[in-house]
Amino acid sequence: MAVNGALPPPTFDLDAWANNYEGALLPLRLAHVATRCPPLARQSLTTAISAAKTGKNVQLYMRLCELAGHLGLDDLRTPDEAWVSKQDEGNKRELSRLEGELRGYKNNLIRESIRMGQEDLAQHHLVTGGPLPDLSNPQSLSTAGYNAAYQAFGKMRDYCTTPTHMAAMTLRLVYSAVLMAVNAQQTGGSAMHHFNSVLANASRLRTAGVKEEEQVKLTPIAIAMTGIAHLGQGNYRDAAASFRYTPAEYNNLGPIHGADFGRLVASANDIAIYGGLCSLATLSRQELIDKVLGGTFRVFLELEPHMRKAISLYTTAKYQACLDTLQRYYSDWSLDVFLGAAVIAGGNGSHVDRLFALIREKSITAYFSSFSEVSLASLASTFPPTTYAQTAMEDEVLSMIDSGRLDARLDALNGVLIAPKSDVRAAVHAEAKRAAEEVERTLLLRLHKVNAALAGLEIPRSKAGGGVGWGEVAAMGDGVY
Amino acid sequence: MADALSVVLSFPPENVAKLSAKKYEEEVHTYMKRLNQLPPTTWTKAIDKKNLLDFLNPEVNSLPYLATLRAQTDTVGKDRKAIEHLVNQCAVFFATFDPIQVRYLGSQWTELVVWLLDILPKLGISDHSTVTTAMLRLDPTAGTFTSTHLRLLRACLQAGVPSQALPILDKDIYAFPVDQRKEIPDELLSEDVELSNGFITPKSGFTIKLKPEYVLEYYLLGAHIYIGRRNFSRARLFLEYVVLHPSQQQTVSALQVEAYKKWVMVGLLAEGKSYPLPKTHGAGVMKNIRAVAKPYDVLAECFERRDWRKYQAEMDAGTQTWHEDGNLPLVKEASTALIRYRVMDLQKTYATLPVSRVAAYLGFKPEAALQYLLDVISSGHLHASIAPSHDNSAANAVLRFHELTPSMTNLTADNELAAQTKRIEDLATYVRDADRRLQLTKEYVEHQKRQRRTGPDADLADQMDLTWDAPVPGLGEEGDEDIMAS
Repeated sequence: MAVNGALPPPTFDLDAWANNYEGALLPLRLAHVATRCPPLARQSLTTAISAAKTGKNVQLYMRLCELAGHLGLDDLRTPDEAWVSKQDEGNKRELSRLEGELRGYKNNLIRESIRMGQEDLAQHHLVTGGPLPDLSNPQSLSTAGYNAAYQAFGKMRDYCTTPTHMAAMTLRLVYSAVLMAVNAQQTGGSAMHHFNSVLANASRLRTAGVKEEEQVKLTPIAIAMTGIAHLGQGNYRDAAASFRYTPAEYNNLGPIHGADFGRLVASANDIAIYGGLCSLATLSRQELIDKVLGGTFRVFLELEPHMRKAISLYTTAKYQACLDTLQRYYSDWSLDVFLGAAVIAGGNGSHVDRLFALIREKSITAYFSSFSEVSLASLASTFPPTTYAQTAMEDEVLSMIDSGRLDARLDALNGVLIAPKSDVRAAVHAEAKRAAEEVERTLLLRLHKVNAALAGLEIPRSKAGGGVGWGEVAAMGDGVY
Repeated sequence: MADALSVVLSFPPENVAKLSAKKYEEEVHTYMKRLNQLPPTTWTKAIDKKNLLDFLNPEVNSLPYLATLRAQTDTVGKDRKAIEHLVNQCAVFFATFDPIQVRYLGSQWTELVVWLLDILPKLGISDHSTVTTAMLRLDPTAGTFTSTHLRLLRACLQAGVPSQALPILDKDIYAFPVDQRKEIPDELLSEDVELSNGFITPKSGFTIKLKPEYVLEYYLLGAHIYIGRRNFSRARLFLEYVVLHPSQQQTVSALQVEAYKKWVMVGLLAEGKSYPLPKTHGAGVMKNIRAVAKPYDVLAECFERRDWRKYQAEMDAGTQTWHEDGNLPLVKEASTALIRYRVMDLQKTYATLPVSRVAAYLGFKPEAALQYLLDVISSGHLHASIAPSHDNSAANAVLRFHELTPSMTNLTADNELAAQTKRIEDLATYVRDADRRLQLTKEYVEHQKRQRRTGPDADLADQMDLTWDAPVPGLGEEGDEDIMAS
C-alpha cells in the first residue's frame, strides 16, 4: 500500500468489525487495516494469518507473513513451512483432479456436467488464489491469480442452459472482479479495468432475464456493486446515484446462489457510508434534502446515524459541525478496503481524502455564498486549514478561485474574500450584444460564401493538384488597372 | 452647333417626374441614340467660346455631362492647369450626378473614376473623398462589389491615406455582380431596384470581370487597414471572409494563408486567445492552411497558456519567418500584450494586492512592475488604481482592481442594441435576396430533384412541396418536368 500516514485507532472494535465479513476479502481487509493503522497492526495480522491458515490460499498466507515482516512483527513473519508445503501439495492434487474430471465431462458432451465442472474449477482457483504467474513470461500475468478464477467462471457461459445459471455465473464474475480489483489495489496495480468488469457484469445482472422473484434479489447486488465500482474509479457523482437507488432489500439479503454479498463485499452499513459521503461531496443542498434524506436511501442512513447527522448538519448550513462529525470517523473510513484505497494507483491520497476535500470545498463555497465579504481569518476559524503552512487558507482559496469553483476575489492586502458584485441588467445587455454581434458576423460570412459561389468566384482548382496554390498570387498582377 | 446643343439638352423632358418607368426607359434610349449620332467633336469643341460643360447642369443633364467629361479627359493633354480644372469639374459632377441616369452609361462612369484615381497622385492630391462620394451616390449601400472598390483601396494605400477608404470599407458587401437569369424578365434600369445588384451587373460597365483573387485581395487589404486602426472586430470579419472563401477541391490560395496568420495574431491581441474557428470552415482547406501556418499556431498556444518565456523564445527563434510574412510588428505587439493579459488575469482572482506580488508573478523588479502597471492603467487596458505606500517603496504600493463597471449607460446600451437589431434586419433582406438567387440556379433545382427521388425513406413532411400550385389544365406531367429541367 502506498497510502502514507499512520491513522489513529478507529472507533470500532476490530474483532466485532471483522465478524461482519467473511470470504477471501476478509484477510485483505485486515491487511489493509494493518498497513494503515499501526496500533492495530498486530491484532489484525494475527487474525488475518489465522484466517488465511484455515483456508487454502497459500500465496495470501505468504504475503501476509511478508507484510508482518515489513511492519516489524517478528513473531508473525515466519511462515509455517510444513503447512505451506502440505497445503500447496493438496491444492495441486485437487487442481489436477478437477481438471481431469472436467476433461472427462467434456468428452461425454454433457453440458450440465461441464458447467458444474467448470464452476468447481473456478471456485478452486478462487479459494487457492489461482496459479502462480510464470515470472519469465509477462503474458502469464493475465491468467494467474484471481484472473484464472474470473476466466474459468467466464467459460461457464457456453454451458449455461437457463437464465438462472447465467445469473449465478454473472454473480460470481462480479465477485471475482471485485476481488481482483482489491487485490490489484493492495499490490500497487491499477484497479481501473477490474472495476470496469464489475460495471459490465453488474449491468448484465440487472437484466438477467430471470423470474421476477429472483430478479428482486439480484438487482440490489447489481446496483450496490455498480456504486462500488464507480467509487473505486473516482466517479463520485455516479457512485452517489447508484448507492442512492440501492433497494432497501440489500440489507439482510442473505446468500444468493451461495454468495452473501452483504458479508463478502459490503454490508448495508458500508453502503450507507459510501452513499452518504459520495452524495455529500457531489450533490447540492436541495438535492441532499430531496433525494438523500427524503428518498429511499433513508433506510440505509438509519443504520449509520452519524452519517445522517452529518448530512442534516450540512443541509442546515452547520458546515463546521458537519466537517467535525466527518472528521471523527476519518480513521474508521480510511480503514475500509474500498474507501481507503488510493485514488491513483501508487499515488498519495485515498478516496476518503478526496471526498473530504470535495466536501470541504463545497462547504466553503456554500458558506461564502451568503456573504459579500469574509476575512480569511474568520474563514480559517470556521474551516481550519488542513496544513500548517502560513498561507494555507489563502492558497486553498486561490486555487479554488483559479479553477472556477469559487466565485470570489481576494483582497490580498487586508486578507478579505470579496464576492464580485454583478449588475444583472448590464450583464444581460452585454451578453445580448455579444450574441447579436456573433449572429451578424455569422450571417455575413455565410452570405459571402453563398454570394461568392453564385458569382462563380470560387478559388479555382490549382493545376499542380491540391496543396497551396501559390500561382494565384502571380496571376493577380495588376490586371485591374 | 446650336443644333447639337439643343439635342444634348433635349433630355430630360419637362414632364420627367410624371413619366412611367417604361416611358422613361424609351425616352432615354431614343435620347442615347441621338447622342450617339452626334459627331465626337461635339464634346470637346467650344460653343460660343465656352466649354460645353458650362451649358450643362450636372444634376439634370448627367448623361451628357458625363460624356463630355469623359471625352475631354482623353484630349486634355499634359497641361496641369487644364487637368486641375477638369478634376474640379469631376468633383462637382460626382457630388451631384443623377444616379438613375448614369446607370445607362456605366462604363463611362467607371472610366472616369479610373482616370481620376490615376490622375490624383500625379497632382499630389491625397484626398480621395471625390471617389467615395461618387460610389456612395451611385449606390448608397456600396454593397455590390465592383472592381472600383478594389481600385479605391489600392489607390488609398498607395497614397498613404488608408483611412480615406473607410467610407466604402465600412459598408458590408452583400452581393457580387451576376448576370440576371434569362428566365426572369429584365428589370428596368430606371426603376427603383431594391438592391444595388439589380443594376450593377457584369454587363452594366460598373465593374470589369471579377476574379476570385480580387475579392480576396480587397478583404485582405481591408483587414490590414482595420488592424492598423485597431478595429479588431472588423479586421476579424474581413480575415474570416478570406479564410472561408469557397474553393474547388480544397484548393488554398496563398492569400488565405496570409489571412489565417493575421487572424491568429489578431485574436491574441484582441481577446488574449485564438478566435474560435467559424463553424462553416472547410475541414480540408483548414488543414492545408494550418500545415503552412504552423509557427503561428505554436505562438498562439504559448500565448493562451500565458507562457511568456516560451512565447519570447518562439518569437526570437522565428524572427526570420515573421519578418518575411510581414507580421513581425504584430508578433512583437502580441508579446507585450501577453504581459498585459497576465496582469489582467490577476483581476479574476484578486481585488487588491501589493505590487510586490505582481512583480514576483511577472518576474519583474518591484519598481519596473510599478511603472508597468501605471502604463497599463493609463492606457486604459486595466481598470484599476495604485495607492502608494507610506514608505514610498514600490514593493509596498497597492494595486486595487475596480469593479468592471460597464462604461455605457442604459440609454446608450439600448440604442446600441437597437442599432444592432436594425443591422441584422437589414442583413436578413440581403440574405433573402441571395436565397432567391440561389433557388434559381441549376444546381439547386437538381438538388431538389434528387431530394424528391429519395423516395419513401425520407421524411414525408420534407417531401411535401409547400409552394405547390394547382396544375394548369392542359399541362401534363411531362410538361411539368420540362419546366423543372429547363
